[in-house]
Amino acid sequence: MDANIPAHVPSERVRDVDLYNLPGADEDVHLAWKKVQDENPDVFYTPRYGGYWVVTRAALLERIWPDHEAFSSRHISIPRIEGAPPQLPLEADPPVHQYFRAPVSVALSPKAVRTLTDRARALAIELIEGLRPKGRCDFVHEFAAHLPMEIFLSIVDLPSEDREWLIARAQIMTRGAKVEAKQQALGEIFGYLEKWIGQRREHPGEDLISRILQIRVADRPISHQEALSECALVLFGGLDTVAGTMGFIARFLARNPGHRRRLVQEPALIGRAIEELLRRHSIPTIARVLTRDVTLDGVLMKAGDFVQLTTVFHGLDERAWPEPLEVDFERDAHAHMAFGKGVHKCPGSNLARAEIRVFLEEWLKRIPQFSIAPGGDAVTATGAVAGVLNLPLVWPTEAGPVPAAGSR
Amino acid sequence: MMTRIKFIEHDGAEHVIEAEPGQSVMQAATFHGIPGILADCGGNCACATCHVYVDPAWRSRAGEPSKTEREMIDCALDVKEESRLCCQIRVSAELDGLVVRLPQSQT
Repeated sequence: MDANIPAHVPSERVRDVDLYNLPGADEDVHLAWKKVQDENPDVFYTPRYGGYWVVTRAALLERIWPDHEAFSSRHISIPRIEGAPPQLPLEADPPVHQYFRAPVSVALSPKAVRTLTDRARALAIELIEGLRPKGRCDFVHEFAAHLPMEIFLSIVDLPSEDREWLIARAQIMTRGAKVEAKQQALGEIFGYLEKWIGQRREHPGEDLISRILQIRVADRPISHQEALSECALVLFGGLDTVAGTMGFIARFLARNPGHRRRLVQEPALIGRAIEELLRRHSIPTIARVLTRDVTLDGVLMKAGDFVQLTTVFHGLDERAWPEPLEVDFERDAHAHMAFGKGVHKCPGSNLARAEIRVFLEEWLKRIPQFSIAPGGDAVTATGAVAGVLNLPLVWPTEAGPVPAAGSR
Repeated sequence: MMTRIKFIEHDGAEHVIEAEPGQSVMQAATFHGIPGILADCGGNCACATCHVYVDPAWRSRAGEPSKTEREMIDCALDVKEESRLCCQIRVSAELDGLVVRLPQSQT
């Protein structure tokens, strides 16, 4: 592994931390990252995946995020995938970035979010009403995964009937199945997108696929590969991010009846609570590549080096947030970095907030009391997006109290 | 010389801040933590989340929106004639005392 440590990295700053294999991440990925933050220097270098820097403090993240000149987005994945076409608009730097970003911003604008929220709300009510009499569900598979997929289909004007098919494939991709199965699922989803790109090229509409196809990158039209990449990011950008966030929030509320009761009794608090819950349960990790030498925390980083930016480190940094592990609905958390900062700040942030709001409002109204199934617990995961793979919930029904462990 | 700007939230809460000439009104607002100014795109006139109403007395001094800004304003909610995206309003001495109101959607 030493081969991955360049000469300019001081040996006292080297730590072996594996983003994809974090001790304790199965039970609580946020506490696992918190431990990394507590036990390591503010800036350290891990030899994993070719070697890269990790910055663990809010102030450093806030310094790097908006500085797209020194910290390029041309490779945002760890490990770096050589030869892979850029994920757009995320892996485009200014000034080209704006051409790819513009139609996404319009499709996710405040006005658009209002319409999309209505559709999400209708589906949420239908799903929750279907689940309520059962007294139990896997929250991720039976609820959280559905809302963002429905929203995607709405943004690109494709039929709701495709939802189950797409969710099945997206879940294979995120659930640690065999590599071949993942590849096949990814291939099928790309095939699906290709089919509709072809169709919308022939018959353009007002939907986001049609608008992406009309992008002009300065003086040239967008290429087929670029359009496919951008459509894929529109699909994947809002899926496990939103589903995972809802999963973390549902687990928190299942374990903390006091907080849950407060939101049931004071729904007006929900907007503010969402910001605090996003701070406490931030999920994405993204990378940047240095375009020039930069010194941070007294350490020289060289042009070409990679830096890992993990939003969890911002939300759980006690230097920025006193008692960071506590969820306090009175806290003004709006400065959290769950959506990043700068030109690449998540364009779907307000849509994500709206989806979480729909979940909280409609779920708490119908299932105000719920807990984690006896003998079960959430399975959480680390990686580029910290996620919740399973979350078995139970609640009392008219037919009876909470089912006992193992009963179905 | 600082420029004073008053932000009035939809519920009537007022905030008077001091902005530096050359900043955008949005930058001054986010620096002072004015609630409701999200400014998701960082000031590129590309998200419609820094939507404000410029007080009628100040409209001509704040200037007219560009074509790009007008197109983006169409993506905002609760649009009125005096709607602007405040990332596109440049702070200057001339705007000392500027009053802007936040729409209901910017809460």
